[in-house]
Amino acid sequence: MIVAGIDIGSLSSEAVILEDGEIMSYSIVLTGADTQRAAKTCMQEALEKAHLKFEAVSATVATGYGRINVPFALKTVTEITCHARGAHWLFPSTRTVIDMGGQDSKVISIDTEGRVLDFVMNDKCAAGTGRFLEVMAGALEVDLMEMGERSIRAKDGIAISSMCTVFAESEVISLIAGGCSKNDIIRGLHEAISKRIFTMAGKLRMEKPITMSGGVAKNRGIVDALRRLLKAAIHVPEEPQIVGALGAALSAWHLPSEAGMKNRGDWGGGSEDRAS
Amino acid sequence: MTFSETIMLERIKTELGPRVIRGLLRSGFAMESAKGAAKWSYRRENRAFGLWLDFLFDTMKRGFRKERPVVWISAFTPSEIPHAFDLEPILPEVIASLAAHIGVSEHTISIAEQNLYSMDLCSFYRCGAGLALGGYLPKPDLIISTSHLCDGAHRFFHNMSQLFGCDHYLIDLPYENGGRAHTYVIDELNDLADFIGKRTGRHLDDERAAGVLELSNRTRGIMLEINELRRGVPSPLSGSEGMSYVLGMNFSTLGSQLGLAFFRALHGVIQERVNRVEGIIEEERYRLLWLHHIRPYYPNIIFDILGGLGAVVSFEEANHIYWEPMDPRHPLEGLASKMLSNFGCGPIEHRVEAILEMARKYRVNGAIHFSHWGCRQSCGGSYMIRDVMKERGIPTLVLDGDGADIRNYSEGQTRTRLEAFIEMLG
Repeated sequence: MIVAGIDIGSLSSEAVILEDGEIMSYSIVLTGADTQRAAKTCMQEALEKAHLKFEAVSATVATGYGRINVPFALKTVTEITCHARGAHWLFPSTRTVIDMGGQDSKVISIDTEGRVLDFVMNDKCAAGTGRFLEVMAGALEVDLMEMGERSIRAKDGIAISSMCTVFAESEVISLIAGGCSKNDIIRGLHEAISKRIFTMAGKLRMEKPITMSGGVAKNRGIVDALRRLLKAAIHVPEEPQIVGALGAALSAWHLPSEAGMKNRGDWGGGSEDRAS
Repeated sequence: MTFSETIMLERIKTELGPRVIRGLLRSGFAMESAKGAAKWSYRRENRAFGLWLDFLFDTMKRGFRKERPVVWISAFTPSEIPHAFDLEPILPEVIASLAAHIGVSEHTISIAEQNLYSMDLCSFYRCGAGLALGGYLPKPDLIISTSHLCDGAHRFFHNMSQLFGCDHYLIDLPYENGGRAHTYVIDELNDLADFIGKRTGRHLDDERAAGVLELSNRTRGIMLEINELRRGVPSPLSGSEGMSYVLGMNFSTLGSQLGLAFFRALHGVIQERVNRVEGIIEEERYRLLWLHHIRPYYPNIIFDILGGLGAVVSFEEANHIYWEPMDPRHPLEGLASKMLSNFGCGPIEHRVEAILEMARKYRVNGAIHFSHWGCRQSCGGSYMIRDVMKERGIPTLVLDGDGADIRNYSEGQTRTRLEAFIEMLG
């Protein structure tokens, strides 16, 4: 049976296609201003990679902030449940998932079956999220993807006191003007974010092993800073950005057959022409 | 919507809305018309709601007309005190929640912030200060507040006494019951009685006070019966109602004929729902306990999301009856005992014990602790409560938010937390 999961996040959207419990394909696109278009685009890309037509997919589950705007999804499930399922599937021993996405961060406590036991999320503040790092990369005039490596090359982290994105940006600009090394500033930013996640994890009485998901998990500097703070190894999937979509696909996989197991008919995505 | 329409709507919201409301509150005729119009749609289906509207409009009308001395009291000041002295009680915290509900709290909070009230102050008090500064509340002749539970209350009420040039009496409640605490509070209430007499010319009459306590006890009995009915499945009263007009009447009217009539009517409404096996939602899958005395009062989708997922707030901590009946022959002793028996006073264990009892009694599947920014006494213990509840197999969501300031509300974030919590319940 072929199922799909789709994760419409604030910055990026991902789709994962599973066949009999194995990943066939996935795609990652920028969400932009039109979540429905993003949903279709990433689904279409994943279908093309798997050489499938949409009709071949029995069920699609949507997750992420834009989950309610996926017209062809059979069901919606929150990203908290989906990241838990996805992380458990990838690393079955996982007991805590740290998801750092575009606009929020979550620490999720899970049981041996991947079920959510408890969770905490960041408040409305953007600190500790991809958006925060994106703004800082802009202020530092460095590529977002370079930040991890630069932080590892840093001699020392410079303490960043403000966690408000706007104030931290001003602080970073002042530090640059003061002649501080960009690498040291980046390391300081990563340490500050990690301390925030560490505090959130403390609220959950976090257990190990830990798996990290979300786009920020691609940043080695953050992962290293968290490892040092948590004094624990952290599993990072090969593609951490698709863990939510994977969890959504697993949710579709486990949908009871009486639910119909049929996608809604309003795909209208035009993938038929391009997919063989 | 066009740009000009948006601007017009904004002007109606920020300027005309409050003016119209102020006009209604100050004009007896308009007040009656508004009351009639407001009740028209509710009277047939919920008599209790109609009585609440009566109370609200009549209190404000009498207050503005100064038909009797106006006393502002904090939510945790026993309402039996003003009723025993035949004073007009005004509860700014309750009116602040109403202001949020009708969409004017943004305006009144803005008035307060323009007048240098910090954004770190509880939004109910910022809203209350804005209502006071904007002239939307009857001026007080006297202010009474207590020191228990709410940290911000006595500072706010002291500030208001400075604003209006009237006296403020703070009932200082010891941290915990026991030892000399009871005698200490009785002495304070005796002092308060003298204080009220000197400021208003209204003296404590034993017969009237006994009558007020008698009414309060009878109302308490009905409230207990209501709470018994709320144990039923499906839940016959929503937590949303429980924490709005029901709680407002709990704070404002105990010890009055209207209070008795209101809770009798509410009992009737709930009994009818129970008889018809009529729940708040169609398919009740999850029963929840709402912790803390506050919910967001501005337009929000919290209860709609829960209802859509088959979850209903079956009971709320705020309506738990924690006090024993009072002896009408010894009113001050009874009132002192009532205040001191509040489970929110003293160490967190008191609150935990009461919450666990509520969870058992109402057979809830989970609990939501609404952590209103500004409520230190409640939010401080939220994660400890969550841990104890978790040990007992009752998942608890700590939902951070704001009860009166819509600027601190994020629909997407709230939806994700609530849906994930319900998914967690299985």
